[in-house]
Amino acid sequence: MAKRIIACLDVKNGRVVKGVKFVGLRDKGDPVELAARYEEEGADEIVFLDITATVEGRKLLLNVVRDTASVLTIPLTVGGGIRDLDDILTVLSNGADKVSINTAAVKDRNIILRAAEEVGSQSIVVAIDAKRIGSEYYVFTHSGTVNTGLKALEWAKTVEALGAGEILLTSIDRDGTRMGYDIELTRLIAENVSIPVIASGGAGSYEHFYEVLTKGKADAALAAGVFHDGVIRIGDLKRYLLSMGIEVRL
Amino acid sequence: MKSLVINYGVGNLYSISSSLSRTGFEVEISSIPKSGYDLIVFPGVGSFPAVSRYILRYRDILDDLYRSGIAFLGICIGMHILFEYSFEGGLNRGLGWFKGYVDKLRTSNKLPHIGWDKVFIANNSGTCSLGSLLDNEYVYFIHSYIVYPAEEDIVCLMSEYGAKFPAMIARGRVIGVQFHPEKSGKMGLKFLESIYRWLKR
Repeated sequence: MAKRIIACLDVKNGRVVKGVKFVGLRDKGDPVELAARYEEEGADEIVFLDITATVEGRKLLLNVVRDTASVLTIPLTVGGGIRDLDDILTVLSNGADKVSINTAAVKDRNIILRAAEEVGSQSIVVAIDAKRIGSEYYVFTHSGTVNTGLKALEWAKTVEALGAGEILLTSIDRDGTRMGYDIELTRLIAENVSIPVIASGGAGSYEHFYEVLTKGKADAALAAGVFHDGVIRIGDLKRYLLSMGIEVRL
Repeated sequence: MKSLVINYGVGNLYSISSSLSRTGFEVEISSIPKSGYDLIVFPGVGSFPAVSRYILRYRDILDDLYRSGIAFLGICIGMHILFEYSFEGGLNRGLGWFKGYVDKLRTSNKLPHIGWDKVFIANNSGTCSLGSLLDNEYVYFIHSYIVYPAEEDIVCLMSEYGAKFPAMIARGRVIGVQFHPEKSGKMGLKFLESIYRWLKR
């Protein structure tokens, strides 16, 4: 099975933005244009995260989702501000293939169960934003501002049991730093659940991707800033990974 | 060339509709199956119990359309529904146009099976030849369940994820694919184009 390279677009007020450790957001361009470019370069999937998640932001996002779905021929995951089953159905009927839920799942874990029953586990991604405190990883919600007190591994096992089809695991400590993925965190989760894990946060070089897909045991690696800034071209990255013996789709 | 995408009331119909349009099809989306189309598509969205509940309400109409020789394309769950029954979410009946059942992929690998895998030709005759352009190419899968057909000759393409499984089945005017052509990049579009050309003949 090919390892997946996923391009992530953090969308605010209809524009792609990127910050460091979830703050200091800068404009990176038009989401539809970027999504189309990443598909052309060889991305295996696109993830949209609505990081404003206001009512106004929601309407904008749905437009963007529809516009993007009509140009993309690869899977699209949409997340951010999803509150209930209705939101999930709305996002899916507007062109998303998968929905990523985070805060809502922590607030009411039954949402995972109900959503999986209705639309199937394969469409439900649970996003886990984790931060290291001492020797433990804790789950944060509300864009990394609220410590839930949940331990990342326990939460990952819980969402798997409830019917999540995939885990999108972000290291808050590494987000936007380009210091490399948190290999320890990724491996901890990926080795202890039997659903796919997407690693996120910290990509800065080809080697970082290689490391997280091998040592980190991730099924997919997601990045944003390095793709937006042209530091890494997806096609070149995949050729590098292939030369290192990792199966990727070219 | 007119296509009808069946809306079960859940999931993303946008991608398949866009892909069909780009291929050249006129696309209509409807919750009720009806005649007057060259191709009826059962999209790959939802869970088996939800889709089965929906589809079986229109069983008589669908059986008539099937007998009338309209072409059908079932994607993922839309392919599963063509078989007799499924074990997803308890035991549920399907349309039974193909003999066999649906159950979890028996693999020690992680499930759902999400991502890109290659497919290989198992049978290249008749309707199956529509899939031959995908031989040794990557397509996108997202599923935990697969079909276990009772008749081996309907299997056109196979794939492997810890265990081998049917990636495309076909007989007569009915085609089912486990992968998502609408999510499989250029190769997916080429596959839909091959169906378009076949219908035009």
